[in-house]
Amino acid sequence: MKNNTFKLILIALVTLVSLGAIWPTWRDHVLTEKLKSFRSGQDSLKFALDHRTEIEQAKEKSLKLGLDLRGGMHLVMEVDVLDLIEQKAWNKDANFTRIMGNVKSEASRFSGATMVDLLAAQFQKENIRLSRYFYDIRDSDKEIVSRLKKEEQDALTRAREIIRNRIDQYGVAEPVIQTQGSQRLIIELSGVTDEARVRKLLMGTAKLEFRLVKDPKMLLRAIQRVASVPLQAKAVTAPPPADTAAVSVPGTVATVPDTAPANTKRLTDVIGMMENGVVYVPAYARDLVVSVLKRDDVAALLPQDTQLLLAAKPEVTVKGEKYYPVYLVRKTPELTGGVITEARATFSAQDSQPEVLMSMNEEGTSKWARITGANIGKQVAIVLDGGVYSAPVVQSRIPSGNSVINGIGDLDEAKDLEIILKAGALPAPVKILEERTVGPSLGSDYIRAGMFSMIWGFTAVALFMIVYYSKAGIAADMALVLNILIVISVLAGFSAALTLPGIAGIVLTMGMAVDANVLIYERIREELAEGKSLRMAVDAGYSRAFSSILDSHVTTLAAAFLLYVYGVGPIQGFAVTLMIGTGASLFTAIVVTRVLFDLFLDSKFMDEKSFG
Amino acid sequence: MRLFQKTNFNFIRHRKIAYAISMALLLSGIVSLFVRGLNYGIDFKGGSEVVIRFEKPVEVGVVRSIMDQAGVKGSVKQFGMDRSLLLKTDYQGETTALKALILNSLGTRLPANSASILSLQAVGPSIASDMKLSAIKALGAALIGILLYVSIRFEFKFAAAGVVAIFHDVLTVLGLFSLLGGLIDFMPLEVDQSIIAAFLTIAGYSITDTVVVYDRIRERLRGQKPSEYERIFNESMNQTLSRTIITSGTTMLSVVILFIFAGPAIRSFAFAMFAGILVGTYSSIFVAAPIVFDWQSRSKNPIKLRGS
Repeated sequence: MKNNTFKLILIALVTLVSLGAIWPTWRDHVLTEKLKSFRSGQDSLKFALDHRTEIEQAKEKSLKLGLDLRGGMHLVMEVDVLDLIEQKAWNKDANFTRIMGNVKSEASRFSGATMVDLLAAQFQKENIRLSRYFYDIRDSDKEIVSRLKKEEQDALTRAREIIRNRIDQYGVAEPVIQTQGSQRLIIELSGVTDEARVRKLLMGTAKLEFRLVKDPKMLLRAIQRVASVPLQAKAVTAPPPADTAAVSVPGTVATVPDTAPANTKRLTDVIGMMENGVVYVPAYARDLVVSVLKRDDVAALLPQDTQLLLAAKPEVTVKGEKYYPVYLVRKTPELTGGVITEARATFSAQDSQPEVLMSMNEEGTSKWARITGANIGKQVAIVLDGGVYSAPVVQSRIPSGNSVINGIGDLDEAKDLEIILKAGALPAPVKILEERTVGPSLGSDYIRAGMFSMIWGFTAVALFMIVYYSKAGIAADMALVLNILIVISVLAGFSAALTLPGIAGIVLTMGMAVDANVLIYERIREELAEGKSLRMAVDAGYSRAFSSILDSHVTTLAAAFLLYVYGVGPIQGFAVTLMIGTGASLFTAIVVTRVLFDLFLDSKFMDEKSFG
Repeated sequence: MRLFQKTNFNFIRHRKIAYAISMALLLSGIVSLFVRGLNYGIDFKGGSEVVIRFEKPVEVGVVRSIMDQAGVKGSVKQFGMDRSLLLKTDYQGETTALKALILNSLGTRLPANSASILSLQAVGPSIASDMKLSAIKALGAALIGILLYVSIRFEFKFAAAGVVAIFHDVLTVLGLFSLLGGLIDFMPLEVDQSIIAAFLTIAGYSITDTVVVYDRIRERLRGQKPSEYERIFNESMNQTLSRTIITSGTTMLSVVILFIFAGPAIRSFAFAMFAGILVGTYSSIFVAAPIVFDWQSRSKNPIKLRGS
């Protein structure tokens, strides 16, 4: 047939392009196997150096595997927009706190709405103008809402950039960091081995502050004021084991006497004091005390503009007991981390403990010089994310803008601190909403399972078609091969990752792709039964089956598309392969098998009996 | 080879029986949905899932009691892979702490059988409720989209009956999940993201079979009198019976392969697909076309079909 020339060229082109897109994946596989096959490391290194560009190119263009197959970490993080809004507000009073509380509880019920809208709605309900707390008093609610929304958007973008910086410096290959909606970030990291460390690195707001430490007398007075605060009943349900409760730190004069009834524990029960005036909290009670100190009613008891903070790291006694010193610091920081320009993790010259050296910008340098000059002999606490790392006594005025964080556990932690300080502080705290981690060993199990199902799926479907439709089945099978080729090549070509659900999508597509052929063949059988000639029956089969094929493909495509739009992560992988497969099957079933039939008919390979 | 030679079933005459079967299926599903509810996965409920692999085979009961004593509340089941267990808990705190808790307690209690964590998934409650919302949106949008498309390609009655059939299929599978959820060890039948994927695929696929039948009815119906409708409906359904079943058959073949080979993570999905395709094939013959027929015989307007 004359118009087949064009179709044949088209098919050849599609096949070639597909093979071309899959070629790097094959090369990558071959090269990796070859590298593994060398006996000595020297040989394999030599080979790798000789074929460096080839290896790199193949790797870059080869089919990417999803996190579930390769192993890695998928995280959904949320920027705490409420915190950001609170930062922007001034004049905060009890009313404001109450409304923010309402917004918070609303937010947990209606997910999806932006915080700013919820906030505006709450203020409207209370009939309070937003300008009372935000920006200029003359601004209208609408202006404020749009400005806050911009802040929200900026904060998310900034958070993404900062997190990208941190990940880049930590060193993860091909990280994916996307924003979703108004306050979420989706982060995909492949091949991460130390998830706990990465999590900490991502979450660290790195709010660095230099704060003046109040003198011990004031600390003592402050402790006395809050001593009788009850620890919340809920928090005490799990009392610490008796032996750790009675911590005896050497040098203890007296723990404040226990006057409260046993079941309503008070703060004094978990705070102790040493003879040198150091106030401490035993390790088991740390989280509890931190949360109690955060309570507004507790904060109100303290002297003006002061705050009780715990050390970030515990001190360890000779007996191996851990306790956290407590500091009373000025609430207003003297200087914040924004002035830090450079940070470097190193070991201290004196005691070879890890530490982080920091230098400041001009503004910070002059402020730091003034602060240190004015407070010689006093302690300045270096506070990171609410924990006191160290509180050195100022010996002299520091004009250089240098400072140091010590009291760090190990070098890894120091390095992470360096990264976080260099990348900058997050605009608002972030929290992890969703975490999916797959280890590489499970991933390779999934790959094996996926390969098995692809091979068996293909074998089963292909065999069925030949058994049921004999020679016509061969055409359908050839189309099926091309279909799979197209799906994989499109994935590789567009750098879309193959996931386990994606493989499921391919296997499912195999079953669905031959559907179009089934519809055509059944129609051809019918036409043959009516006594039409083979060529006429084939023509009629194709043209009459076309409308059902189109309808069924369109509906499947639509469903897959919706799945892609509303689905998350690996499910999108399924949707993508299903879409590509369905699209490809329109082409393979209608164009490819048609051309094959024409060729078969011309070459007398097929006759009336060839449709089984 | 031919599985169906010339068939001559009177589908339309016996449609009431089919309706009764469908109603029974749906009712038992709905009752179960109300009584037993659904077994939601962590995607929609929030919580954590941890896959633990041991070096040597281990009793599920032993691990369960160790976890109980460690204060990890939840369930421990076989994961469907060698020496692997799936621990589910509603724990939503810091995953580092959860990991440490699991490994420490297993390490002290089973020192001779080292355990490692293969995968860990933790979903917070706010994400879970978002995912639920997106799932409902996706299903709703799919149904509306299909309704519109089939209305344009055929006629509203056909489209509506097709959507009823989809509802029928999805609800039946959902009912099945509710009835069997948590009862079978090697497939938990939890409703999670992958099941939503299955539902959407079922929706798309259910209409595929239906359209094949519709297409033939449309072709045969042109210029016929309403009195001939019953015969035409029956003949069309018989003529398309073979292709309806073979198309479903090939897809079911690949779904069965998935069920057997693709591992525990895909098994519930494959089960949902299998049930969905089965019910979908049934419904396109016994639900969609008969509804169109009943609706048509009650309305005064003759069928005005678009397209070819």
